[in-house]
Amino acid sequence: MSNTSSGRFNVWGNSFAAEDLPAGGTGVVVDAVTFTMPPTGTGAPDNVRCAGQYLDLGPQADLADWLYLLAAGERRVEDEIALHFADGSVDFEPVRVSDFWAAPPAFGETKAFATLMHYPIHTQFGVPATIWCQRVPVTRRAPLTGIGLPHNVALHIFAATLQPAAARPAALEVTR
Amino acid sequence: MTATETLTPVTTAPSQAGHRPPTFYRDPVSCLQSIFGALLLDAGHDPVAALGARWEFRHIPGDVRSEEFYFPGRTPDDTAGSMMPYHPVHSAWSVPTSDEPLAELAALIDSGVLPIAAVDNYHLPFRPAYHDVHAAHLVLVFGVDRERGLVLVSDTMPPEFAGPIRAEDFLNAWGSANPADHQDAFFSNAGIGRRYLTVEVGTPWPADDPATLLSAVRANAGDLTADLPADAAHWTGLAGLRRYVDHVVAAARGGEADPLKALYTFGWSQQAMCSLHGEYLRTRGHRWAVPALREAGRAVESAAHAWTGLRVTAAHGWPDPAAAAADLHRHGTRLHRRYEAAATAVDRAARALNDLTV
Repeated sequence: MSNTSSGRFNVWGNSFAAEDLPAGGTGVVVDAVTFTMPPTGTGAPDNVRCAGQYLDLGPQADLADWLYLLAAGERRVEDEIALHFADGSVDFEPVRVSDFWAAPPAFGETKAFATLMHYPIHTQFGVPATIWCQRVPVTRRAPLTGIGLPHNVALHIFAATLQPAAARPAALEVTR
Repeated sequence: MTATETLTPVTTAPSQAGHRPPTFYRDPVSCLQSIFGALLLDAGHDPVAALGARWEFRHIPGDVRSEEFYFPGRTPDDTAGSMMPYHPVHSAWSVPTSDEPLAELAALIDSGVLPIAAVDNYHLPFRPAYHDVHAAHLVLVFGVDRERGLVLVSDTMPPEFAGPIRAEDFLNAWGSANPADHQDAFFSNAGIGRRYLTVEVGTPWPADDPATLLSAVRANAGDLTADLPADAAHWTGLAGLRRYVDHVVAAARGGEADPLKALYTFGWSQQAMCSLHGEYLRTRGHRWAVPALREAGRAVESAAHAWTGLRVTAAHGWPDPAAAAADLHRHGTRLHRRYEAAATAVDRAARALNDLTV
């Protein structure tokens, strides 16, 4: 059995079973979106605990429609992400991620991966640990240059992918 | 009394409920709401309608016990009545009065009452904390077989269990001192003392209809927006929440760890209540086709979710309270704003419900 005590995803030392997750550095497809998995099971950090970090997207800014996340919460998380644009504007958009500990997708996410639950001295059956695939809308039609993560230690992000802006869709018919 | 003395062989017929108790679970709730919900289901009622009718904020300074099932009651010694004031449900804590504690539980089961036992997870083989972490928890007892030395228990929380365990294990869990455990600062260090809860589900049972809900939300709103005297023993309503957040932030700035440990425990009671009320409003808004009620429910659920940031920040931050103070202030302020926004949404929903009922 692998080391079950070093993950410490939550305050009780529960964590994911790395052997049940895709290998680090590999591309995985969830919801038709490709993510690059972080290296897991090495003892090195494999997720970002949100504490207001700023992700600079660099000079190759482009239009985007969605920010897709592989993420998990220590209980249900409902917070805001700051989207920064090339013209200096900033939009706050909701980010909603369900509990990783034996929970359904409260916000309509896709279950990306579920593993056995690690406890400090054993592996627990019947309590799944889940990484969710969630998305955040990018509504402004301007190049996205940076992402400000929330100040919320309950939210953990494993991977993120920007979906480029698609061709303009046909207008929906508003009947009411 | 030791477990060995209690397990002296007896020739007594087993006591057992006529069926395995149902289960009720939502990820924001604790064993308290979960087990009450199971008993409501067993009585033929919808747990969300009963547990979700009341929405309040209540903090009782100095009252928080480090137990998963802590709830700040508006009615002393009636936890169920405090949680479900609009329904005929009441509960009372007891400890065995005889030197045969299992016989007392068996007699209750024979009379049709399933007792809820307080236990220490450390001694329960089906709990993840078995022989690892001390933590106060609740299980439903639905059978006692003294001759074979077995107790049938139902645990509604993951990994969920219903079946027999050795009476020795049960007695150890039920009588545990639940000593302080560095692995669980929130639910240890509170003696179990062989306490058990009995719940009475009475009649008449209120209708699950718009008029009944309207009455409940009006009563909730009155309490939520009431003034709070400076010397109030219970910090209630939006004013009480503001006072509580200020208290926690000041304590953190002052380097006090205990209020942060207590926050995680106490906050669960409020988060669970908030979440069930939101679900109740939202699902009835869907059933009765009242969009404003669905939106109010979602707004209340959003307030429930704001408890996460405050609780988890405190849970991780109590070893260095001052370092956590700014984040606690941020999350506490957001929590208060979401309560205010939810209260406004519920007020709009009440007007829509009123239109529906006239």
